[in-house]
Amino acid sequence: MEQKIKMACIIDDDSIYVTLVKKIIETKKLCDNLLVFKDGKDGIDYFETILQNIEQSGIPEIILLDINMPIMDGWEFIERFTKIQNKFKKRITLYVVSSSINITDIDKAKSLSSVENYLVKPVKIDELEAVFSRTA
Amino acid sequence: MSESIIQKYVIPNSKISYWELYNNTCFWSQSFITELGYDISHLETNLDFFLNHIIHKKNKFLFKDHFYNLVRHNVHFKQNILLLNSKGEYDEFVCKTKEELDVNLKKGSQAIYFFKAKLKTHDKVKNDYYFQETAAITSTGSWYIDFENKSSYWDQITRKILDYPSDFIPTLRMAQKLYAEEHQSIASDAFFNCAISGTPFDLEILMVKSTNKKFWARAIGKPVFNDNKEIIGMRGIFQDIDEVKMKEINLKRTSEIIASQNSRLFNFAHIVSHNLRSHSSNLELIVLFIQSLDDPNEKLELLDTIKDVSTSLNTTISHLNEVVTIQTNCDQHKENVSIEATLNQVCTSISQIIFTNNATITSNFEAGDIVSYVPAYMESIILNILTNAIKYKHPDRDPIISFKTSLDFRNDDRVILEISDNGVGIDMEKFGDKLFGMYKTFHYNEDAVGIGLFITKNQIEALNGQITVDSEVNKGTIFTIKF
Repeated sequence: MEQKIKMACIIDDDSIYVTLVKKIIETKKLCDNLLVFKDGKDGIDYFETILQNIEQSGIPEIILLDINMPIMDGWEFIERFTKIQNKFKKRITLYVVSSSINITDIDKAKSLSSVENYLVKPVKIDELEAVFSRTA
Repeated sequence: MSESIIQKYVIPNSKISYWELYNNTCFWSQSFITELGYDISHLETNLDFFLNHIIHKKNKFLFKDHFYNLVRHNVHFKQNILLLNSKGEYDEFVCKTKEELDVNLKKGSQAIYFFKAKLKTHDKVKNDYYFQETAAITSTGSWYIDFENKSSYWDQITRKILDYPSDFIPTLRMAQKLYAEEHQSIASDAFFNCAISGTPFDLEILMVKSTNKKFWARAIGKPVFNDNKEIIGMRGIFQDIDEVKMKEINLKRTSEIIASQNSRLFNFAHIVSHNLRSHSSNLELIVLFIQSLDDPNEKLELLDTIKDVSTSLNTTISHLNEVVTIQTNCDQHKENVSIEATLNQVCTSISQIIFTNNATITSNFEAGDIVSYVPAYMESIILNILTNAIKYKHPDRDPIISFKTSLDFRNDDRVILEISDNGVGIDMEKFGDKLFGMYKTFHYNEDAVGIGLFITKNQIEALNGQITVDSEVNKGTIFTIKF
């Protein structure tokens, strides 16, 4: 029996996309809690802060990360996240979700060991379901 | 030399210069002796004297061979030789053995005829003529600097190229002012190196005519050495290459414009595809989601999201449209625009913002104020950079923004505007290449849209200008605009 994941995290500056995914997750009951950050800086600040707490509550199992964002883009987030990824007690799976169909972006993301997969927007609903069930 | 010997060896009264060889004896014609300016009493009319004192040493041995081959084996020859005349100079002669000339030869004798090479002087005149023609056609003047006499010499073409009267006497002291101010150090380095270490030079350099008109010249210089290998002077040429160089510069500029237009188009295509794609993918996701839902009420809820997508798609398209308009409008309404007047106008229109932020604006347009520009673009550029500077002011200090112009002497004296502020600055390492991109924002200001600098850059580049930025976090930002 597959186990539902408890918490997911979206880092994306496109508010319409975020609203939609949020709705899909609620409707399909893919997970209980959702963290949303509107750029990489907010995201990495969060992860670096929870590392300071001993109980490390509020760690998501998956991150859906956009590439093109203001202030701190997806690449810089990955770079900083990779440095702390192993310090978490829980395994965090990172997906890049971007509307970029630029092959260099795709290759770059797939070559990074910390990135599980690259999903091109628009994400299909069954794709989203698969991501949530595989991780669980 | 006794009278009898002279009689014996000299053939009198002949207008032709020749030697008669008979019975191992060599008779010289009177004309041969006088043609070289000698008096018969000064010389001995025999082969040894000729070889040792008259013929140039470089012709000596070949002539000797020819002579004996003729005498012993009857082998005819023709040779160009240099003979020393009574003035101590060498004259060029052609000597031949086969000639049908009216000379009284004894039966069984041979003759060697000497003809002064008159053609040579004719050639020299001709060569001088061609040389001068070539120099005039290619606008190449020559010059010489004499270190010992501390003087310099120009030929007429140098005077003509530099627009000085034909009787003008150049001096060493004026050398500096022959070159455009911005190239004077290049010129003095080249001349100095040539004078001190003997390094020759070949430069393309901006020179100045007597009329103060600048022109492109090729300047070539070489050291002149004396016998002790000391540098005693320099010589070289100036060639007027202005026309060619201007064509080259124009061609280069045109190709730069084309390259930048090309990269703007490429960039624009990328922006269009990227920015429209995010909306279309959202729409697609909504449709997929609606299809997957069974409850009609839930489906209806999603209609609102479609409205959101449509609104933001509209905004994006109007932004893109603005960019397209910049490209198409740019050549139509150029006028002479005063930067100062435009700045004053902008300051009036945002006086409220300037006042509330306690901003100080200073300006210096002494170097240049008027540019041929689209007035609306000038206003938009100044407004955008000025409001950015105020919006991103440093939290600890009141904003000070200064506007200053200078002239780009390398580029037809185009006006350069520098706008510097003391604001928060931008991390150039992180954002340098993205600063002018569409929808790029770098600060947490709520009203940051990421379209302003993108439009500014497009306006400037559409009019073939350039904008660059330099910034340091917490110090401030400097935008440099080449109009």
